[in-house]
Amino acid sequence: MFDRILIANRGEIALRVIRTARELGMETVAIYSDFDRDALHTRMAHIAVPLGGNLPSESYLVVDKILAAAKETGAQAIHPGYGFLSENAGFARAVEAAGLAWIGPPPEAIEVMGDKIESRRAMQAAGVPVVPGIVDPIDDAEAAVVIAQEIGYPIAIKAAAGGGGKGIRVVREPSEMESAFRQASGEAISSFGDGRLYMERFLDRGRHIEVQVMFDGHGKGVHYGERECSIQRRHQKLLEECPSVVVDDELRARMGEVAIQAGQAVGYRGAGTVEFLYMDGEFFFLEMNTRLQVEHPITEMVTGVDLVHEQLRVAAGEKLGYDQSAIEMRGHSIEVRINAEDVPAGFLPSTGTVHNLRLPGGPWVRIDSCLYRGLVVGLNYDPMLAKVVVWGPDRGVAIARMKRALEELNVGGVRTSAPAAMAVLEEPRFIEGDFDTKFLESLDLSQARGGLSILAAAAAALHRRNEAQRQALAPDASSRRGWTQRHRSSLTDHIRRSQ
Amino acid sequence: MKYYVNVNGTEHEVVLTERLGVLTVEVDGEVLDTDYHEVDQLGQAHLLCGDKSYAVSVEGDDTRVAVTIAGHVYDIEIEDERERAAHAAAREAAKHGGLIKAVMPGVVVELLVSPGETVAEGQPLLILEAMKMQNEIKATSPAVVEKLHVEAGQAVASGAPLVTLSAIE
Repeated sequence: MFDRILIANRGEIALRVIRTARELGMETVAIYSDFDRDALHTRMAHIAVPLGGNLPSESYLVVDKILAAAKETGAQAIHPGYGFLSENAGFARAVEAAGLAWIGPPPEAIEVMGDKIESRRAMQAAGVPVVPGIVDPIDDAEAAVVIAQEIGYPIAIKAAAGGGGKGIRVVREPSEMESAFRQASGEAISSFGDGRLYMERFLDRGRHIEVQVMFDGHGKGVHYGERECSIQRRHQKLLEECPSVVVDDELRARMGEVAIQAGQAVGYRGAGTVEFLYMDGEFFFLEMNTRLQVEHPITEMVTGVDLVHEQLRVAAGEKLGYDQSAIEMRGHSIEVRINAEDVPAGFLPSTGTVHNLRLPGGPWVRIDSCLYRGLVVGLNYDPMLAKVVVWGPDRGVAIARMKRALEELNVGGVRTSAPAAMAVLEEPRFIEGDFDTKFLESLDLSQARGGLSILAAAAAALHRRNEAQRQALAPDASSRRGWTQRHRSSLTDHIRRSQ
Repeated sequence: MKYYVNVNGTEHEVVLTERLGVLTVEVDGEVLDTDYHEVDQLGQAHLLCGDKSYAVSVEGDDTRVAVTIAGHVYDIEIEDERERAAHAAAREAAKHGGLIKAVMPGVVVELLVSPGETVAEGQPLLILEAMKMQNEIKATSPAVVEKLHVEAGQAVASGAPLVTLSAIE
């Protein structure tokens, strides 16, 4: 195994990797932008290398700076986390060319799976079921209207280089095509530098279910079951659970087998996630994420496997050392993403300084977080601040435990997505397991749902009264400045007079 | 002291009376037996109501407060009697304007209309990119574009004016 690894990322995922590495007695190298001087990942690593700059394009996306940091610190391997350069085949190649181990899949596999058009072709060839649609890039909105007639509405326009819900638009009738095409291609160019779009049938009432896989470099692959990720908004997930209420043992075995088949078709190695769209007993390949996922902890909670540990082992050339029969799923796990978003305002980005912080604890509650008092939340980086993950012996206990944990949580200074997750957990349809990817968007989240308005009103008035008293007692800042100013000028006058 | 406290769109009257060091809290005419105690100066507070205990979080300034109780956030606007009168006048004045403001910080990607143009309700006026997502900013009613306050490529702060619309004669 490695003695020292560099983590080419920030935030909670950098900390996640540092934690496992520390437990294995491995040294960790953090990289950080000027903005992240005080960040937890910077502080928790054994070695921290400044990259300078504030924007990702000046720091976490600069391949040369990262490789120089690895060389300078003697790191033997690079873990890319998720986002940033994690699915960049060019970076993976540069890491390997520099003589370092890449804790991720082979660059060729990233390339095929990263291109929606290429991956559809490869999966069709490997016998993996895909969503009806066309695999060739479309020229313009007029051509799209013609092709749409053949596939049938509603249609999803997607960026060939896409991911993370960017560059996707749904079109329900021909008149919407032009505006949707323009927006999707604009987003595709600004996010991925590649405006190519393709189209497929938009399966309206589907569920998003994904399978976690892991392959060693010796031709062996296993799956760790599925994750239910249908609670999402504009393709941004809010709450995930493992297992899914619609997946039984037989379906899990079938989906798992197809997922392994998908990975094997591209010569996969390391951790990956095969995303499926599930509808009425059928499932279709959507895409493969060639990295560790944000929501990987729920799989860890249910299987007892440390996925980062497994990533490190196979990247170091070790064999998996077990087969599918060794993987057992116990109980139920739920994750809620705490994003800096203003839910009543329609999930708009929220910025500020986190000054008021109370994190939950207690049995079977796991917090993967980059939060600390004083954290400045800006617009330069991903808005995800923390993940609250719980485990319970069954789904009912897990739901109750998550509600309890969210009741304990306060993140002040920015608005967060936590109240939206709370609303989901209280919704009868969610509790019954009857939902699809449209569920979250169908909820009215414009107002708080708690029934304690009277108490809230009293607390607000008492808070204001206390604030007013504090201001009356303390000499306020402006008068202090005024006094200093007067004092200084009288002093200068005095000096001038005495000269 | 009397406060008008708007919680998620519903107004409550809160009267705080201090007599001989005893603070009485009255909400909508009913006296609440409360003991409000700030745990730190950062937002954590404890509210006892009778013998019921609530670990609350309260943050904000004089006029806008967010209270979190058991995982739910209550958005609150608070006014005393003087502020209430001033705000009522300002609201009346604002009714006749048609200024569309940025509701989030972002970058203007493209302008889709020009001054003098007549737009329908829901027609996209411009595209604003925030967090790498492109959002269409739409006309809220049928109108004529009076003035564009931004250019393509311009970064705007939250609350910055984007477009002024005027009513169709």
